[in-house]
Amino acid sequence: MTGLRALGLAAVLAALLLPAGAPAYLVTFSLQLFMYVVLAGSWNIVSGFTGYTSFGHVAFFGIGAYTAAILITRLGMAWPLAALAGGAMALVLGLPVGAICLRLKGPYFAIAMLGFAESLRLLATLWTSLTKGGTGITLPPIQTLVPTYYAMLACVAAVVGVNYRIATSSFGLRLLSIREDERGAEAIGINTTRHKIAAFALSTIFPGIVGGLYAQYISYVDPSSIFLTLITVQTIIMTILGGAGTVLGPVLGATTISVVQEVLWARFPHIHQGLLGVLIIGVILFLPGGVVEVFKEWRLLPRVRSI
Amino acid sequence: MLDPALLLQTALSGILLGAVYALLAGGLNLVFGVMRIINVAHADLMMLGAYNTFWLFSLAGVNPLLGLLAGLPVMFALGWVLQRFLVSRVVRSSELTSLLLTFGISIVLVNLALYLWTGDYRSVAYLSGSVVVGGMALSKVRLLGFAVALAITTAVFLFLRWNPWGRAIRATAQHPDLALACGIDVDRVRLGTFGLAAALAGAAGSLISMMYSIYPEMGAFFLLKAFAIIILGGRGSFPGAFIGAVILGLIESFAALWTTATHAEAAAYVMLILMLLLKPSGLLGEEE
Repeated sequence: MTGLRALGLAAVLAALLLPAGAPAYLVTFSLQLFMYVVLAGSWNIVSGFTGYTSFGHVAFFGIGAYTAAILITRLGMAWPLAALAGGAMALVLGLPVGAICLRLKGPYFAIAMLGFAESLRLLATLWTSLTKGGTGITLPPIQTLVPTYYAMLACVAAVVGVNYRIATSSFGLRLLSIREDERGAEAIGINTTRHKIAAFALSTIFPGIVGGLYAQYISYVDPSSIFLTLITVQTIIMTILGGAGTVLGPVLGATTISVVQEVLWARFPHIHQGLLGVLIIGVILFLPGGVVEVFKEWRLLPRVRSI
Repeated sequence: MLDPALLLQTALSGILLGAVYALLAGGLNLVFGVMRIINVAHADLMMLGAYNTFWLFSLAGVNPLLGLLAGLPVMFALGWVLQRFLVSRVVRSSELTSLLLTFGISIVLVNLALYLWTGDYRSVAYLSGSVVVGGMALSKVRLLGFAVALAITTAVFLFLRWNPWGRAIRATAQHPDLALACGIDVDRVRLGTFGLAAALAGAAGSLISMMYSIYPEMGAFFLLKAFAIIILGGRGSFPGAFIGAVILGLIESFAALWTTATHAEAAAYVMLILMLLLKPSGLLGEEE
């Protein structure tokens, strides 16, 4: 346990000090990595713990990105505020959708969420007076990455913290009971609807915020690059590889896949997407429980819920 | 706007299109019915069928309809192999597992096609022009597509109804364990079902290659249509898929008449979400 603590502390220190010494390339890479950690961690809150697998997580990322882009370009709002507004907007729009769609089970919930995300993509294409349609919105270029880097890192800390709180609380246990047997959970007096909606609401805020940060840092948003189903799929596969319903799973999964992709992308630029497909198939067939569970089995990690 | 001949022509072209959609969605629905698996790669199998027809036509001058026939066994074999080595291993897992596995297969197929054949738009120039019936112009190739799609769909429907293998497929869809207890080789039924679904997707691809431009990523565009169709028509119900497909064809056709093509695409999503909320089991599907 002390060894693990030291390892964790070293990782946090490295993340905090990185912009001081590392090359810009590494900072950019870490920024993207943090974004995926937040996406995976927030997907984990609803799908990892309750088992309701959302196939439209990119919707909230996109809402945040568009909200921030519009607020920054139209109102000249400061970017940290715009990103927070993106999170708030994702919550406001996500809550009714969750309340309605969470009545659906299994594949129907997954498809409804996919339909929701795709509808938003079309909405962003069609509502040209607000979103400039397929042309997209160009934001003012940023001078330095460092503030965005720390904002993204703060989001990582927040999302890991929330996951930790959930995993160690009775609220988290009740969510897990929904995943294992929803009717059973209801029978012992858990208000499953309220719990599912609470988890769903929590999971919409963070992708909204990082969507806003992403829009500011990439300084361009358009419907097809923002509401991209591949983002949802990467988020899910990262969480599964790490371990759905665990605290460290999304972090480890997002890190592993980001690094592998970076290496593959550099070596095989023509086929790296195809290799991602092979990677997905491999994870599903050989590591469906995720590495955290495997590590726990091998006693590399202690068997506690807080990891 | 309300010219009756125009309305009738719009309705007819919607129905013609619907039959081709039905061919595509029917296979997806079979796999979903038998294995509770949403095959995200289904529309990419359709893409492979389209390319098969295109290459036979443009390199060897093979008639696209013969290309369609030649594609059937090839696509069946491909479906068999996918089921045997990949999909069969996740049949008993959660929906998410199979969804992601088939998404992985989809990414591999699309990128393989991109790598081999580039992202260029291609088309099969076969049977252009239209026939005029009672003041309505109907495209020849769509009429042909309708006839072929209808013939194949009917054949599969009859096969499912009367053939012993077809009945085994339906029995497995209804209750896999009971089917097994009755002496049905459920694993082989699943292999055959996936093969059949792939062959149907390939046939739909052959027809679509004559009507639209084809390109490696074309599947994504058709996949959500197919989802909307099976949600509308009812999960696992083969005739339901046909009805859902015709309704979608009509909606798209009329939406395109009055608004733009993007609005028409949006209509499919709206329909899908409304149906999921109001009656998730679909028009002809069974309740959970």
